[in-house]
Amino acid sequence: MITAERKPFEQIKAVTDQFENILVVGCNTCVAVCLTGGEKEAEQLASQLRLQRQKDGIGGSVETLTVLRQCENEYVDAIAAQVEGKDLILSTACSIGPQLCADRYPKVRVAPAMNTNMLGMVKQHHVWTEYCAACGDCGIFNTGGICPIARCAKTLLNGPCGGSQGGRCEISPDVPCVWQQIYDKLASFGIEGNLSRIGGPKNWAKSNSGGPRTMKKEGFEP
Amino acid sequence: MPGDARLRPPCEVACPIHTDAQRYIQLVAEGRYADALAVVRETNPMPQTIGRICAHPCEEACRRGGVDEPIAICNLKRVASDGAKPAGIGYPPPDNDVTAGRKVAIIGSGPSGLAAAHDLALMGVQSVIFEKQPQAGGFLRTGILNYRLPKNILDEDVDFIRGMGVEIRTGVAIGEEIKFDDLAAEYDAVLIAVGLSESRSLPIPGVELPQVLLAVPFLEDVNAGREIPELGQDIIVIGGGNVAIDVARSAKRISGGKVTMVCLEADHEMPAHDWEIADARAEGIEMICSQGPNAIIGEGRVEGLQVKKCESVFDDNGRFAPSFCETELSIITGDTVIITIGQMSNLSFLPEAGPAVNERGILIFDREQCTTSRRGIFASGEVVTGPGAAVNALASGKRAAVAVGKYLGIDVNFGHEPVAIAEVPADVIGKIKSAPRRKMPARDSGERLQDFEEVELGLDEVDGRCEAGRCLLCGSGARYSELKCIACLTCVRVCPYGAPWADKDGLGGIDPVKCQACGICFTQCPAKAIDMVMLTEEEIAASIKAALGGGGELELGCWYSQSRVAPDAALVALPCTSRLSTNLLLGALESGAARLHVAVCSEDDDGHFVHGHRQTRAAVAEAKQALREIGIDPELIVLEVVPARKCMGNSEK
Repeated sequence: MITAERKPFEQIKAVTDQFENILVVGCNTCVAVCLTGGEKEAEQLASQLRLQRQKDGIGGSVETLTVLRQCENEYVDAIAAQVEGKDLILSTACSIGPQLCADRYPKVRVAPAMNTNMLGMVKQHHVWTEYCAACGDCGIFNTGGICPIARCAKTLLNGPCGGSQGGRCEISPDVPCVWQQIYDKLASFGIEGNLSRIGGPKNWAKSNSGGPRTMKKEGFEP
Repeated sequence: MPGDARLRPPCEVACPIHTDAQRYIQLVAEGRYADALAVVRETNPMPQTIGRICAHPCEEACRRGGVDEPIAICNLKRVASDGAKPAGIGYPPPDNDVTAGRKVAIIGSGPSGLAAAHDLALMGVQSVIFEKQPQAGGFLRTGILNYRLPKNILDEDVDFIRGMGVEIRTGVAIGEEIKFDDLAAEYDAVLIAVGLSESRSLPIPGVELPQVLLAVPFLEDVNAGREIPELGQDIIVIGGGNVAIDVARSAKRISGGKVTMVCLEADHEMPAHDWEIADARAEGIEMICSQGPNAIIGEGRVEGLQVKKCESVFDDNGRFAPSFCETELSIITGDTVIITIGQMSNLSFLPEAGPAVNERGILIFDREQCTTSRRGIFASGEVVTGPGAAVNALASGKRAAVAVGKYLGIDVNFGHEPVAIAEVPADVIGKIKSAPRRKMPARDSGERLQDFEEVELGLDEVDGRCEAGRCLLCGSGARYSELKCIACLTCVRVCPYGAPWADKDGLGGIDPVKCQACGICFTQCPAKAIDMVMLTEEEIAASIKAALGGGGELELGCWYSQSRVAPDAALVALPCTSRLSTNLLLGALESGAARLHVAVCSEDDDGHFVHGHRQTRAAVAEAKQALREIGIDPELIVLEVVPARKCMGNSEK
């Protein structure tokens, strides 16, 4: 799941203060599941903005609505009537949402209310942790089902480094050394010796180093 | 799937008139007695009477019974009416008009006849009730004693019904002063609701002795305050039902002597309610069980009752078929016998033209349509249902009112039978805070035997509201929208009771049987896919707006707290302030609140809802942070710990 966090209110306000009629658009998919940008949070942000603008004597309106997924043309197009007359769309989706809104409503200014941060999984309720870097060339079979690219601070493919101390990463005692975890996991299968083999080069062209990526499912084009 | 919002609390389903007990109990918890009484009145034409003498099948069905003890629903009905009265607002006459034309004659002013007249009046149909006794009320007046149902209470219920345009002609016996056929000719419909006004006797030697009395005339004499010269000092009451208990307790009060009840049934089989038996025993009444009357002995006057051992009362099919050991005889000495073995109706007023009776002298009757064999003649109450509780007679009368209304061309229908929610599952019971049932205070048994004044004193305000706070709000909790649910699992993770569930496809729901209506899932759902059956988010927001009226301070309080945290502020009370989402708090400020006082239980003491206070604290903290971010003083929202919490089991008097 994509996770995103709301920007500091000061940053949002610096943008919204310039506009009169604002539509806060929530997204009820990834950012709702990570409890930061779904319908409830979008309403909360809209309420905050109204209270702040009332206090600061800024006129105009702040309305809100939420679509199921802000990364789909159809859902974003479906709010055209509500976008009508607005000066600013403030999106609480991951960065895809405001970009698509900007694309579909070219005459309206669009701003993100969120900082998109990772592809994460729910470690426990209210806590998410990064598990995938979307490198485009998944090799976790060889690393015990653990991704060193997303979960090693140095993105090492041949760790651990000298900063691994007592199973912890040198960046923080709270962060486990993923290469220690990989070693332990392979050892549990008795295959830790695989680590001494030389692997082939990783195809970084499939990551975003190769420019913006597109994906196509062949054969069923409409 | 177990998410059916139509499931109703079992108290309401068990109630013969389906009173929405849950709703009035919650209003009692809030101390809103007049509103509570209005809810009772929606279905119950005699709330004060029933609040004192009801057999309360609702309490047998109450789901709290599976946790500790059932809610004292009947006593709370009395709290509602007692509490509403001092303000003088408890008995507003309904806005009905019975001048439209059609008239119905009702024979009998017992609970069934009164209920029918009441409901017909609400339909705009005027009724004239004919009562052969000098006062209205039927067996409620002649058969139930003042110590259980004070006459002024019954009078108030009857007067209320009179106030709706119902005419009650007392001292008029149909068949004597007015012929039945004349009545049928004059009125558009006739309802026979004559009850069971005559006692059954026993075909045993000695019943002709002057000290052998029958229950109904005995109770009529007691209620009318007439002397009963035959009554001695050593009284034997034959019978083990509720009427026998009333007879025994009355005889004890009048004679001051010894009273012994003798019944066929074994101790555990006695047909009287357990609480009635306990009350009688507390007053020193002895009970001799498993004995059948064989003969009343005495020369010219009663000297005792010969009994034979009763081996069983019912046959294998559960039918009444007592078998005796004819050789095991014994004598119970006594100077008076009162026979209380059952009652029958007197239908001698019916003409040959019908309505017809069967070979056993019982009115032929269609239970669904309340009709008799003669067109336009209906029947209700114990004359057709047999003996039962007063609330059953009300139910029968109410059904008859609908039947008569339909017959008169009024657009009314019989209601649908509600379906009850299942009992609280074992894995949830342990998560519900236990709280003892509040006991009804009563006069000391020695003192109360000296007179016929009311025995039960009524729960006081603190106990009444505490008792109401025990209600589990069955079926009124969270409901989710399948369309809006994003299967995020938040509800599954935050519910203290394990009510929400989801399968591998993200399909799930919230099991209403497990849900305890705390609202935590509702306030946390990020997609706003969850709302509450009772008190939706929209309703809370609307009541906040209405209470504020545009400005001023607002207390967001708790139903169960009996003290205000901001007595001068406007009040919106909730089952738990855990139902306040951050958005509702900010919304209240947007609606113009100058300050919000949010009531909360102390951190180490859950109130009615497990973990409710944690949710309240989290929402308030988040709302304060939201205010800080926008440069507004976070102290506009004040968390106020409810001092010396007086809810449920923790009342401090």
